[in-house]
Amino acid sequence: MRIFFYLALFFCSVYSFSQDFQYSSLLIKEELKDNADAVVRFDEMVVDILAQDNMLLKSKRVVTVLNKNGNKHVNAYAGYSNSSKVKYIKAIVYDAFGNEIKKIKEKDFKDVSAVSGGTLYSDYRVKYLDYTPTGYPYTIVLEKEIQTKNTAFLPTWNFLDGYGVSAELSHFKLNFVHADLKPRVLEKNTENYNIEINETPLSIDCKGVEISALKKEQLSPMFNQISPKIMTRLIDFHYEGHDAHVENWEQLGEWMYVNLLQGRSELPESVKSHITNLVKNVDSDIEKARLVYEYMQSVTRYISVQVGIGGIQPIIASEVDRVKYGDCKGLSNYTHALLEVAGVKSYYVHVEAGNNKIDFEEDFPTLAQGNHAILAIPNGESYTWIDCTSQTHPFGFVGDFTDDRKAFVIRPNGGEVIKTPVYLNENNSQKMEGEIQLLEDGAIKVSAVIETKGIRYDNRFYIEDLDKDKILEYYQDTWASINNLILEKNEFKNDKEKVKFTEEVQISAKNYAKPSGERILFSPNVLNKNSFVPKRYRTRKLPFQIQRGYKDVDSYVISIPEGYGVEALPEPVEIISEFGEYKMSVLKQGESLKYERRFLLKAGKHPKEKYSNYRSFRKKISKNDGAQVVLIKK
Amino acid sequence: MKNFIKILVLFCVFTHASFAQEVKLGKVSKEELKEKIYAKDSTADAAILYRNIKVSFVYVESKGFIIEREVHERIKIYNKSGFKHGTIVESLYQSNGTRESLTGLKAYTFNLVGDEIEKIKLKKSDIFKEETSKYYKKEKFTMPNLKEGSVIEYNYTVSSPFYSSFNEIILQYDIPIVQQEIKVEIPEYFSFKNMTKGYLAYDINRSSKAGSITFTNKNRSSSGYVTKTDFSSSKIDYKINVSKVQMKDVPALKEEVYVNSMNNYRAAVKYELQYVKFPNSSIENYSTTWESVVKKIYENDEFGKQLDIKKYYKENLSKVLAGKTSETEKLEAVFTHVQARMNWNNIYGYSTDEGVKKAYDLKTGNVADINLMLVSMLRAAGLNAKPVLVSTRSNGVPLFPTRYGFNYVVAVVNTNGKNIFLDATSKYNKPNMLPIRALNWAGRIVNEGGLSSSVSLLPDHKSTESVMMMASISNEGNLEGKIRRNCRDYVAYKFRINNSELAEDSYLEKLEEAYNGIEISEYSIDNKKIPNKPVVENFSFNLEDAAEILGDKMYVSPLLWFTQKENPFKTEKRDYPIDYGYPWEDKHMITIKIPEGYQVEFIPQSINVSVGDGLGNFKYSLSKTPIGLQISSSLSLNKAIISPQDYQGLKDFYTAVIEKQTEKVVLSKI
Repeated sequence: MRIFFYLALFFCSVYSFSQDFQYSSLLIKEELKDNADAVVRFDEMVVDILAQDNMLLKSKRVVTVLNKNGNKHVNAYAGYSNSSKVKYIKAIVYDAFGNEIKKIKEKDFKDVSAVSGGTLYSDYRVKYLDYTPTGYPYTIVLEKEIQTKNTAFLPTWNFLDGYGVSAELSHFKLNFVHADLKPRVLEKNTENYNIEINETPLSIDCKGVEISALKKEQLSPMFNQISPKIMTRLIDFHYEGHDAHVENWEQLGEWMYVNLLQGRSELPESVKSHITNLVKNVDSDIEKARLVYEYMQSVTRYISVQVGIGGIQPIIASEVDRVKYGDCKGLSNYTHALLEVAGVKSYYVHVEAGNNKIDFEEDFPTLAQGNHAILAIPNGESYTWIDCTSQTHPFGFVGDFTDDRKAFVIRPNGGEVIKTPVYLNENNSQKMEGEIQLLEDGAIKVSAVIETKGIRYDNRFYIEDLDKDKILEYYQDTWASINNLILEKNEFKNDKEKVKFTEEVQISAKNYAKPSGERILFSPNVLNKNSFVPKRYRTRKLPFQIQRGYKDVDSYVISIPEGYGVEALPEPVEIISEFGEYKMSVLKQGESLKYERRFLLKAGKHPKEKYSNYRSFRKKISKNDGAQVVLIKK
Repeated sequence: MKNFIKILVLFCVFTHASFAQEVKLGKVSKEELKEKIYAKDSTADAAILYRNIKVSFVYVESKGFIIEREVHERIKIYNKSGFKHGTIVESLYQSNGTRESLTGLKAYTFNLVGDEIEKIKLKKSDIFKEETSKYYKKEKFTMPNLKEGSVIEYNYTVSSPFYSSFNEIILQYDIPIVQQEIKVEIPEYFSFKNMTKGYLAYDINRSSKAGSITFTNKNRSSSGYVTKTDFSSSKIDYKINVSKVQMKDVPALKEEVYVNSMNNYRAAVKYELQYVKFPNSSIENYSTTWESVVKKIYENDEFGKQLDIKKYYKENLSKVLAGKTSETEKLEAVFTHVQARMNWNNIYGYSTDEGVKKAYDLKTGNVADINLMLVSMLRAAGLNAKPVLVSTRSNGVPLFPTRYGFNYVVAVVNTNGKNIFLDATSKYNKPNMLPIRALNWAGRIVNEGGLSSSVSLLPDHKSTESVMMMASISNEGNLEGKIRRNCRDYVAYKFRINNSELAEDSYLEKLEEAYNGIEISEYSIDNKKIPNKPVVENFSFNLEDAAEILGDKMYVSPLLWFTQKENPFKTEKRDYPIDYGYPWEDKHMITIKIPEGYQVEFIPQSINVSVGDGLGNFKYSLSKTPIGLQISSSLSLNKAIISPQDYQGLKDFYTAVIEKQTEKVVLSKI
């Protein structure tokens, strides 16, 4: 995709929406209906950057909803806050033939507090439309205008809103009053689409035509990692009373530090002396940091309150100290302040948290990236990372919430984009050793030791905080193929220093094995059957990824009931592929059986062409994990 | 319905619980702070140590009577999972400038620091007021300095001018309550009926005391050039009825599977305003009996009157009825018309919102708009149609005559002595099949003039899914064949809700996954969107490694992937009824051709097991045929709701079913 420079003298060629646009849904091309629950017929946003601290966003959006699932793509809402206001919002609904059914005025929109789950309070509000369709397809035309002083968050333009929606014509235009206010743009994933960007001295015009819908597929990357979009930013922007000039991450970091972080780490004397005391006999900075982190974890909890410029600025440390709760920003800043008292340097970090790894754009410094704050503590050449919103994670272990992604480290003298810790493949291990006793009536008694590390640890260590009913439920769910499971005993050891979780478990269950006449059939892989096979697609369209990978090592000694001999054992298996390795064997060992299994799943990104190979790899594993042993009465 | 009330409500057991010490705000003991777990339930993350609720009607001169609810609670937090109980949210209703308000909040966190009690006060700035919507405001606060082991305590008053909406005091939470005292003071002018809900026994202690109102009268009198203002006061004495509930060791309400709504079992005292009678004014009736409740609802403009408006559909109705002669034909035609035309806006209610006429024009409306219009049209078609008031599953079961007990309305037609229930708010149901949300024990049929009678809403006929399969196994253990699946009634209803909007490819991918990764071809479906017909699917399939080959034997699961995978009932005991929504049956007829050169060495024995008195049945039979195997299986549950007494039996039944279903057939080489 190239950018076209228009040298023409006329500076304004506003694309104007033709008045005789046909709302009839009968006119939609078939290609746009494929995999689509809704078709965005026309989506236009014009951003007028009137000054560094004044921006007007005008939009008009026409969506034809084809069926019930398409209602979510109407997007008839407008968020606002103290520093932005909705100048107007209105909508008109048309039936399939383009006849007007209903006019919706601003007062018909519901006006509610935009509090999401988990947030105690937020200043943000939203006006939204709660419309009941009277038939499909229908078309809705939404127009709105929002004015804001904050130009720090220039919109990102998404040519597609999500899976299952296509776009006929998508138009994004930025007008700016003088050249200094010219936004920078970054195109993402626009290569294979009919998207064009044109510039004039005082405008940037982006147009996408006939963009087909994407269908959601298992194991595909997140939608916004593959969908076409345009990110924008201003060099000179305004945010909640502060002006900024930012050309790179370094400058953004400095600006953040000076305007939003500096001077917010004051603490009362009592805490200061407590911290000083806590670390007084400790030499290493990292050891001090560990003590401070564990102290912070023991006294605080996570509560999200978004007031004032709560969007980005943390609440001051002394306030967090008083109430002993805060959101990610407040708790990170508080821990930073405590570390400062202990004489340990730490940096505030913006990161995009979530199970999916999303990077900050290295060459595109904006405040709009990221949704979470953590801390980075310099440790020799590298950093130790801590998430201050968790009361249970080991020091220096961030788990799958913020691992392996580029994040924005904010230092007093400038910011930098740095990658967070990586947990891949063998790092995420699970070792299971078991002694299994099979009884003649098909019952089993198992005693097992399970050791997990890395992301495997992250997925399991929380069970130590569960009550006994929930622990039983956990094992019943984990080993769902063992019906009638009774938990006889469990003991947990959480080694936070080594990030290793050990479970010693004893279970029993009736009717595990199935007697068939003279024979007893049973599956020797009692504790770690992996039956996952990715879904079959008639035509796979998207690439797929294995985000982290893992390694399992299982070893069980199985004693068989007296009076029975082995009639058939599964053949030993070894599978090696680019996706990983699998090895399984069941051997007679005296009167017992020895079951061994190793499974390495490798992290990686793969093109769609390899999907069927991956399926057959997992099919083989699923089959072998289900393999049966046959015993016969002697 | 009557039986159900007996099950649900245990009447007062007379225990004279008396509380030794007066619990004062701010006086938390070291013992309370030192406690590590709640002895009576070690799984509790937190417990309410003390709870005192006082509700009283207070006369305010400019406003009349308002309700004041004074809340005092002391909560012990045992662990981190209990921190969520440190956040308190009160929703306050507002309407036309009249609003509920929260005042006098005092709150503290107590911690044990060393051997000292640390008391931290909640600051004003830590209270958040959220304008949630036009009608609701929320006041929220979360306690400062919360630690494992903290005790929190707060006290506030909510004042409400909406006295007729006072209808429930909850007595049981998701955490245990060590002791609580509820006191309700109501002036003699207000007559409330009350009733207990839930499975807990408690005692309501009644007494009365004296109260009075002092009015200030202002008189202006002129004599000559002097104008004088006199203030005089007058006093009215009245009786206050006091009811008191004291409880100790209230267990936490614990979630169970297959329950329609846990709230149905949560202990509470329900209040229902019956009438208001002030001195020297006439009585204003709210509700007393089912008759008067229904009459009141019926007389409402948004209910009874809506049934008589007819002009708006006249023309369309005659088209709809053209050529229809029998009652059944007419009923189906009218139902289909309303169902197809109207679109439910997801709002419940037995009163119309837009009014039937406007709703008909707009093609959208709430439950009452749609179903009252349906009743009216059915009547116009000459059918004996009536509205039925319903309380949805989420609303709980109405225990006694109450307007708040209902939140939904459906239609019933009596034809040939049989009741046919109708609800046109869903696109996927048919006559005599209410959406699952409305299947909640019983409803009240509203007769002409407002008379009413109770009627069971529980479906009594089985909804079936039947699968017929003809398949053959290859020498490699692969399976291929054809399947015909037939889903009826609620099974079809659920199928349509989940799948009818999906593109065929997406649906098949989902089905292949659910059926153990089979690969489907030659798929066809009939009646996908025709609610009064069964969903019929036909397809060919193949599945690799369906049978396991070990040595010269082949092991086959006769029911393949159609087995019950795990027992849904895992807990040892069960407190509340098991609610399936509707009776059902799963049938499978499978014919398998075995590969050449193999013979059937072993087949599991056929069985027929039942649970309870015809509650459930599993019939499973296997036989050899000249070419292989014939399997027939039928699993059925014959009642929509099963009482907790039958829990153990049901759990064992599932165990037996799973055990049998997973037995394998052994084929051996000849």
